Amino acid sequence: MPRFVRPFLMVLLLVCTLLPEARADAVKRIRVEGELIDTWCYVTEIMYARGSAHFQCAVWCAVGGIPVSIRADDGTLYVVLRVEDDSQNVSNPAMIRIQSHQVTVDGDLIERDGVKYLLVTQVADDKGIVDLTHEKYGIQPWGM
Amino acid sequence: MGRFRSLAVAAALCLSAASPSFAAQKWGIDGEMVAQFEAKVVDLLCELRGDCPEACGGGKRQLGLVRDDGTLLLAVKSNTLFAGATLDLLPYCGQRVEVDGLIISHPAMVIYMLQRLRKPGATDWVRATAFAEDWKQRNKTEDAKRWFRRDGMANDVIGTFGKVGRPDIVPPPPVQ
Repeated sequence: MPRFVRPFLMVLLLVCTLLPEARADAVKRIRVEGELIDTWCYVTEIMYARGSAHFQCAVWCAVGGIPVSIRADDGTLYVVLRVEDDSQNVSNPAMIRIQSHQVTVDGDLIERDGVKYLLVTQVADDKGIVDLTHEKYGIQPWGM
Repeated sequence: MGRFRSLAVAAALCLSAASPSFAAQKWGIDGEMVAQFEAKVVDLLCELRGDCPEACGGGKRQLGLVRDDGTLLLAVKSNTLFAGATLDLLPYCGQRVEVDGLIISHPAMVIYMLQRLRKPGATDWVRATAFAEDWKQRNKTEDAKRWFRRDGMANDVIGTFGKVGRPDIVPPPPVQ
């Protein structure tokens, strides 16, 4: 075996060993304050998707199984994958009832390929719907 | 939202509903890109945290697509109005699938809208409307048109909290 082959193989083995760890990404405990939103309407901007104007549509989308996110006050989006011990993240009845609410949560953040996923460990506060956007935008979509 | 975008979205909806052999339709969304590719279907909590129930949670877990370069894409939407893609991808849990739809890049995140899918190597595509089919079965009805207006859970929540989510506020009727 040529002299350079062994070090090369060792480096290759090290990289292969470390890659899955790098992809798994570290978990970071954070606190987030923001509004529960419907990920599809907000990201695509196909309608105004914040506050009371969008509550009805956000309920429809959550019932339909579209992921629910928290939009932090700085515009960062966190896709909610778990709330405390409840790992049902498709059409979760408890989540459906608090769409568009302003909440404060603690959770474990995992970032992967440009998406921030949040595993909520504690809901610290729920102020209900405080952003009365229907006064300006009506009810989204279709006004009814 | 501008009038042009509304028309583009309406046209995309009509085209996607009308044509059985359609290719992925653009919606006129900023940052959208038609994307047909093969990927592995994963339960997101399993992929990210090793929390792996049987059969990807049986429809109660959000699913994603791991592409051949290892990139994980969040599958957010299907071809049914106001419905996600979990039930479309669920039969392929842990397996490869060929998908056709839109990758939408937003400053906050990248998402995937699934429009049709098939087993790799198959000739026929299947429209991503599994939610509508499931809804019809669950509600013992012939069609899922405007399912969101007829859904028991949605109507219960909206009936309790009102259309703007605040029972203390009754918005005026829309201006005609």
